[in-house]
Amino acid sequence: MKDKPNLNAAIAAATCALLGTSAAAGAATEKERWSFDSSLLYYGESDSRVQDISAAILAQRDFDDERKLSLNLTADTLTGASASGATELNRPQTFTSPSGKAIYNTPAGAVPLDDTFKDTRFALSGSWTQPLARLYTFSGGLGFSTEYDYTHLGANTSLARDFNKRNTTLSIGVAYSQDDIKPVGGAPIPFAQMQDVGNLTNKRGDDSKDVLDLLFGVTQVLGRNTVLRVNYSYSDSSGYLNDPYKLLSVVDPVTGDTVARVAAGGQGPNGVYRYESRPDSRTKQGIYAELKHAFGAPVMQLSYRFMTDDWGIDSNTLEAKLRWPLGADNFIEPQLRYYTQSEADFYRSSLVAGQALPEYASADFRLGNFDAVTVGMKFGHRTEAGNEWSTRLEYYQQSGDVPRDQVIGNQANREQYPDLSAVIVQFGYRFGL
Amino acid sequence: MDMKTCRTPALKIVLVAWMAVVTTCASAAPAADSLDLARYRGKVVLVDFWASWCTPCRHSFPWLNDMQAKYAKQGLVVIGVNVDREHADAERFLHEVPARFPIVYDPAGTLATTYDVPGMPTSFVFGPDGKLLGTHIGFKQSSRDEREAELQKLLLTVSRSN
Amino acid sequence: MKAILSIATFLVVSGCSSLGVQPWERDVLARPEMSLDANALDAAIDDHIYFSKEASSGGRGFGGGGCGCN
Repeated sequence: MKDKPNLNAAIAAATCALLGTSAAAGAATEKERWSFDSSLLYYGESDSRVQDISAAILAQRDFDDERKLSLNLTADTLTGASASGATELNRPQTFTSPSGKAIYNTPAGAVPLDDTFKDTRFALSGSWTQPLARLYTFSGGLGFSTEYDYTHLGANTSLARDFNKRNTTLSIGVAYSQDDIKPVGGAPIPFAQMQDVGNLTNKRGDDSKDVLDLLFGVTQVLGRNTVLRVNYSYSDSSGYLNDPYKLLSVVDPVTGDTVARVAAGGQGPNGVYRYESRPDSRTKQGIYAELKHAFGAPVMQLSYRFMTDDWGIDSNTLEAKLRWPLGADNFIEPQLRYYTQSEADFYRSSLVAGQALPEYASADFRLGNFDAVTVGMKFGHRTEAGNEWSTRLEYYQQSGDVPRDQVIGNQANREQYPDLSAVIVQFGYRFGL
Repeated sequence: MDMKTCRTPALKIVLVAWMAVVTTCASAAPAADSLDLARYRGKVVLVDFWASWCTPCRHSFPWLNDMQAKYAKQGLVVIGVNVDREHADAERFLHEVPARFPIVYDPAGTLATTYDVPGMPTSFVFGPDGKLLGTHIGFKQSSRDEREAELQKLLLTVSRSN
Repeated sequence: MKAILSIATFLVVSGCSSLGVQPWERDVLARPEMSLDANALDAAIDDHIYFSKEASSGGRGFGGGGCGCN
């Protein structure tokens, strides 16, 4: 019985074939299946900066009638140093560590890094999805993560409705989270000066923040090979939004060099540094569009996101991936990502001695003006059992600059923005039970 | 054939050309686009549109097999219409999930278009007089008993008319 | 925001359903690699990396597409 639209003949033949058979046995019960996706990842920045190793497992179980449970467990361990926000200087610098119990040094001509950064984080999240009626899908989830100075707890829910024979899907979602921050040594008083070892008068206790996220999405099938998704997101954070470990150097208005200071017994900072101060609320909005198109067997994914907030940061993200099958069991997937952001209104590369303090200021490179590029390649292999091994190699490069009017005196000859480059190596294994 | 969807002119031409090729191949049948239910007058016919890529279809086959086996004597006929473009895909599916009822192949989607299949899978239930009595979009394990009861009720009318 | 609402309304209201495919034509869309959630774990990992190095995060989320079954 080949693909013939000559249905009468086809049905006749099939019916004849059936008449001789006896009643078939009843159905075997469908086996519920768990499917897992696991990953082991190494992230390493150049110049002895941050290194991270993480292991993650995503477990999904399908139940009858489109109901699904999804669990994600991640553990990662962070070591290394991160740029603290202090400026580079032509003499060695000494800082008090966040705990207030020790000092650390930065050699002359180097970007100050806070190297007392060792942390292990665990995160667990779960979600449940089920249809409410034929065209309505409901999803609800919880998330939790903990590290020694930070705890996160969140809940989310969403509703989706299909239209136009399921060619169009409208979704709406809301998420709320509460984070508790217990910085080592206590949260610094904003703009307080860095003190000698043992002096914690510039620190307060713990603090917290909460975040509300709203998401509106439209998914549209454009053709047999193409699907488009467009989301609008709104996010409102309030509470303690500072990074408790980031600081600014207070510099001379002419030379741009950090103002010197004498520490009692040499156990303290040898310059004047102040902890950063950010607003206690942040509202972000974004538009995200993603297109998936199949060119026969290869599949291309293209996405763009524009984000803007009331801190003055605008960002554009463009991402492209092409999954290219090699035979029936293998594939390669080159990936490219381009990201650009403008600095926050209160971004300052340093504070100027003698001038009144601004309302807010931060020298955190993550709030600066930079471009970042990621190039990567993923390779995957499907085994006979139907499981999949994969490996991903990526290179991330971030380079930024400081607004011209913030570069003072000798700073022009030094590295103003701590460029970052990192390598990401990931091994993955997908399997079912 | 009802071309409800609006497409680009180029696609329309391709579609019309394909329909022409398909209908000329199916030379003998005068009504190649319709399921000839006349031969099943007096029986309850369940026509199920399915595809290899449709996961709920995988779950529906054991139930359809069960229904066909249980109620064949009482006058139930189950017919599966496959809409896979590649016959090999359908064969692979049937190898994993056997069908104990006849399969009709509709790779061009001619039948699917004629019946204006609203979703995958869809079951159309026709009564002994050939009238369409019910349409079920999708397959849910939780609705098996209800659907079986519905079939039992319809099958009573078969025995009465006999 | 207004643009999104108008696009959404248009797509929903357009009786012509000029965009899209018939329910039996979703074979390609049903392929796992065409799902918008195809690499959920990779996406979560990437989001976490970029969240800790950049000022913007999030935006993805949700369903649709796929085989459109049930």
